[in-house]
Amino acid sequence: MLEGDVAHRDTFPKLLALNARRFGARPAFRHKDRGIWRSWSWTETEREVRAYALGLLRLGLRRGDAFAILGNNRPKLYWSFTAAQWLGAIPVPLYADAIADEIGYVLAHAEARLAAAQDQEQVDKIIAVAERVPGLARVVYDEPRGMRDYDHTRLVAIDDIIAEGRRALAADPSLDAWLDAELAKGGAGDVCVILYTSGTTGRPKGVEIGSGRAIAAAANSVAFDRLDERDEVLAYLPLAWAGDHYLTYAQSLVAGYCVSCPESPETVAENLREIGPTYYFGPPRVFETLLTATTVRIADASAMKRTLYRYFMAVARRYGERILNREPVPPGARLLYALGRLLVYGPLMNALGFSRVRVAYTAGEAIGPDLFRFFRALGMNLKQFYGQTEAFILLTSQADRDVRADTVGPVVADVEVRIAADGEVLYKSASQFLGYLKDAERTAEAMTGDGYVRTGDAGFFDAAGHLHIIDRAKDVGRLRGGALFAPKYIENKLKFFPNIREAVAFGDGRDFVTCFLNIDLTAVADWAERNGVTYGSYQELAGHDRVIALLAEHVRAVNRDLAAEEATAGAQIRRFLVLHKELDADDGELTRTQKVRRRFIAERYARLVDALYDGSETVDVETEVMFEDGRKGTIAARVKIHDMASGAARAERAAA
Amino acid sequence: MHFLYLVFIDPFVQMGMAPDLLAQTLWEGLVSGVLYALIALGFVLIYKASGVFNFAQGIMVVFAALTLVGLYAAGVPALLALALTVAVMFVLAVAIERLVLRPLVNRPDIILFMATFGLTYVLVGMGELVFGGDTKQMIAKQLYLPSGAIDLAMLGGRVTLQKLDIAAAIIASVMVAALAVVFQYTRIGRALRAVADSHRAALSVGISLNQIWVIVWFAAGIVALATGIMWGARSEVSFALEVVALKALPVLILGGFTSIPGAIVGGLIVGLSEKLFELYWGPLMGGGTEAWFAYVVALIVLLFRPHGLFGEVIIERI
Amino acid sequence: MTEAAGHVAAGETLLAVERISLRFGGVTALNDVSFDIRRGEIRAIIGPNGAGKTSMLNVINGFYHPQRGAIRFHGENLARMNPGFAARSGIARTFQNVALFRGMTTLDNLMAGRALKMKRGLFWQLLRHGPALDEEIAHRRVVEDIIDFLEIEAIRRVPVGRLPYGLQKRVELGRALAMEPELLLLDEPMTGMNLEEKEDMCRFILEVNSQFGTTIALIEHDMGVVMDLSSRVVVLDYGRKIADDVPDAVKQDPAVIAAYLGVAG
Repeated sequence: MLEGDVAHRDTFPKLLALNARRFGARPAFRHKDRGIWRSWSWTETEREVRAYALGLLRLGLRRGDAFAILGNNRPKLYWSFTAAQWLGAIPVPLYADAIADEIGYVLAHAEARLAAAQDQEQVDKIIAVAERVPGLARVVYDEPRGMRDYDHTRLVAIDDIIAEGRRALAADPSLDAWLDAELAKGGAGDVCVILYTSGTTGRPKGVEIGSGRAIAAAANSVAFDRLDERDEVLAYLPLAWAGDHYLTYAQSLVAGYCVSCPESPETVAENLREIGPTYYFGPPRVFETLLTATTVRIADASAMKRTLYRYFMAVARRYGERILNREPVPPGARLLYALGRLLVYGPLMNALGFSRVRVAYTAGEAIGPDLFRFFRALGMNLKQFYGQTEAFILLTSQADRDVRADTVGPVVADVEVRIAADGEVLYKSASQFLGYLKDAERTAEAMTGDGYVRTGDAGFFDAAGHLHIIDRAKDVGRLRGGALFAPKYIENKLKFFPNIREAVAFGDGRDFVTCFLNIDLTAVADWAERNGVTYGSYQELAGHDRVIALLAEHVRAVNRDLAAEEATAGAQIRRFLVLHKELDADDGELTRTQKVRRRFIAERYARLVDALYDGSETVDVETEVMFEDGRKGTIAARVKIHDMASGAARAERAAA
Repeated sequence: MHFLYLVFIDPFVQMGMAPDLLAQTLWEGLVSGVLYALIALGFVLIYKASGVFNFAQGIMVVFAALTLVGLYAAGVPALLALALTVAVMFVLAVAIERLVLRPLVNRPDIILFMATFGLTYVLVGMGELVFGGDTKQMIAKQLYLPSGAIDLAMLGGRVTLQKLDIAAAIIASVMVAALAVVFQYTRIGRALRAVADSHRAALSVGISLNQIWVIVWFAAGIVALATGIMWGARSEVSFALEVVALKALPVLILGGFTSIPGAIVGGLIVGLSEKLFELYWGPLMGGGTEAWFAYVVALIVLLFRPHGLFGEVIIERI
Repeated sequence: MTEAAGHVAAGETLLAVERISLRFGGVTALNDVSFDIRRGEIRAIIGPNGAGKTSMLNVINGFYHPQRGAIRFHGENLARMNPGFAARSGIARTFQNVALFRGMTTLDNLMAGRALKMKRGLFWQLLRHGPALDEEIAHRRVVEDIIDFLEIEAIRRVPVGRLPYGLQKRVELGRALAMEPELLLLDEPMTGMNLEEKEDMCRFILEVNSQFGTTIALIEHDMGVVMDLSSRVVVLDYGRKIADDVPDAVKQDPAVIAAYLGVAG
């Protein structure tokens, strides 16, 4: 809902002009360069962008032209977006680590007229593919280092263009009015940006985002989290990623908050501490890395620190989230938590740079509940959302105090979500994309007959109205009885237990679900040591009765979890086995990014899969393996299969 | 049983019963602590910059005090005598650099240490020769150092603060702070740290080792002079003053030989704990604990942290 | 602008060593070695282990005093070179096993390199105001430019003793650059680096030479680096000069090949 000042501002440059008027002296951008943080106020930013727009005009940028932007987060690159939009041109950002070939494709496909590059490295890449883009008139760059001797007939520094623009304005004041007129020409229907998404198949698609829609979407989420001009954000995510464009560009212009750009990708952690953002986004991987780093630091700390940490983290786990959710908590506990904040949580959050975070989000993949609750227990208002580039961005988002680890939240304003018969999540959003650039065919493919957009993900709504994302839609199958079977969903739940390193679930077209498990050697060995379990080899440990009992407990817990939701209740794990060897990318069982190759594994271990479904209790296998030095060998083993109903229970009793 | 009570309970009871006495003791401990810190700083400066433990620091204190008093006795007005003594300490620093350090620059540290032994006896001899061996009075009044005392009625009793002590504490604190600031934030300070870290690297960057050494020994000389004036004013000027410098040893052990904050904290710890121990536990041991308590504390610290509370733990990648 | 005394134009001899002989007890480290370094060039000094390369740099730099021979710098004969004088004359040096101030941060190490350029005395510095502060800021700006150039922002405040070897070498180069030298002596700047680090280092050395015109003499073992970077090469073997030519010629010189093969075989 657009309110007050922001209403009727239907392009981003208009928002910039507005911010210059209502927040003039407040900082809009910061960048650490040569060791100092430099800042630009909204007024200064508008001045720079106006001059920049004039300069771009002189280079030949016209309404409707594409302006490619290639680099890391830098103020001048963000200004490139606005300057282009001012003239009615369309910015097209590319990933800084894209290779020349990808860049060549996008530049040619979008028919880029101008390109902005951050530094010599990016300029080199563009020059390498320049002949594929005959329409590319000029390349402008931010950092001049290393390009002194380059041919400057088609190369020019952004600083120089802005200076030229400034000179032009000084010489001819009527240009000011001209710029205002250009600004007014922009409207809600303009394409404000084209974001290329790399599909898993085929060439990247250019998602065209409409200006008015984008601003409306950003305004909704800004209101949702009450973001305003006093917030601070560190821009460290890829400039070309839709999420960054939303968080750092769209929302900042709507709310008027300040965006800080780090000195270099290596200094992000340090810059985070220096800036102390109030609004933060990180994919689950980032939080995982932070947790690991913290755990390692604590393990190395003095005994006293370790004891304090253990004690107060226990306090945090019990009361932290409840305090965050404003639930009633006994005063004694509150006091204890406050003491914990003084001694442990405060310093810890400070070291991570999160002391001032009011709102934090994570999204993109499933996050382990323990990890999620860890940060919430520390007092960080971490929430989840779900969305797509094509939706610009948000489809669902969790509200403060209605946060759960296993959902992505209820649907946001001005969005409608429907679950198709096969479980696919479909949506209609006021801010959805205009289409794929020059690709009517794939645009049609992405929509249903009645105008809903396909997300490609499968999910369901629970009783509280929160959306759960299960899996990629094409991976979701059905049991013979018709129950929904989402292998990755089940595998993720199993893998959230530290003792389980890898899991592969089977069940499509079968009567029930079964799975292979890999134990996590480090975690289980540690457990074995502490519980007096002896073993002579990986196989022995993997086959040990007490370990089986431990894993059975985990499987039982997952089954309980699945049973709790109507949509997934049908897929209960009835039998499982512990593999005699670890799944390995070298053997082709995992991809290089450690993802499970289900079909390959099913073929390779067909005997085991058959045994799981034909009721056998043991099965002998011989598996060919590749050792690290390249030699081949075979591992033979007798693998035991465990029933959740009776067999595992037997093992538990035997071990007791 | 009774013994345990005497050791672990009684002293605290006594502290509680006479808080004004406790405050008095704490004050005195603080003053002597600050002065210890100052002496320790003299050692730290030289050790950091030239890598040598200056055995002669103590005698430099005496020498400086004697020079000052001697000049005054010879008729030089007090403040001029002070200025001249500063000049003398500068000349001494230059002489030490040229005659002792430069010839021995690449020799093992133990040789340099022995050289400071020699320096000690040279200064002792010179002192006796020029100024005579009898005790003298420090010209405190002439240097405008206050005398008398302030009585504070507080904590149910009376706490007496000697004005001289107050002045001494302030002067020492200011000097310590100034030295710390110079060391950390000025170019000279950076050069000092550089020389302390690696002679070879310092040379190749163009830092003049000789210049730095003169500066450092001069600074140590000023510290010695200030120490001599203030200890001398509180007791008297004689060769016994040299012993005060030995008290710096436990301070250095506590604080680490190369840390300026360490010298400060170490000095305060030694000063406070020594006075407290003497007053409340001393009677149990027949008194006279001030002579050895600091060393015992230092020994215990050495057992757990050989490089002191603040000393540099050199972290290097293997 | 009047030419300062001893100003050397590009291409002319900046530093020459003439008939240098250096002995330690019974060992002859350098035997009658003569060669010159021209302004603006990158001069490589190569040779098998123990050939006397580092000793040569130490002589040029003033750490060792040769028994015989002379060094001519800027056309002037120098009887006694010492490290302080070398530094003041515009010669900066890095060391084979890295001589950094290990307890100080990267920033402090580089600022130490500005020592010679700092003019204001102690009094002004104590005030930390006025001219001394301006000077400190000006030097800091220079140092930050170097940090940006060498891409070491992330380790600005890390004590260098904690850095990996490759980064330490980079910091040492930075400190030498902070001296704004006319002649840069690099002793095996690439040792212990992986391929990517070596490429970066080569890039930096070439930039320094082309952008600032700094004359560079470097000792290096990696033949590929030598061929890529240097314009002329001196080859030492057992303290004697056995070749002095452009890289291509030196590569094919039979005496040079024999020296290397002889040692290895």
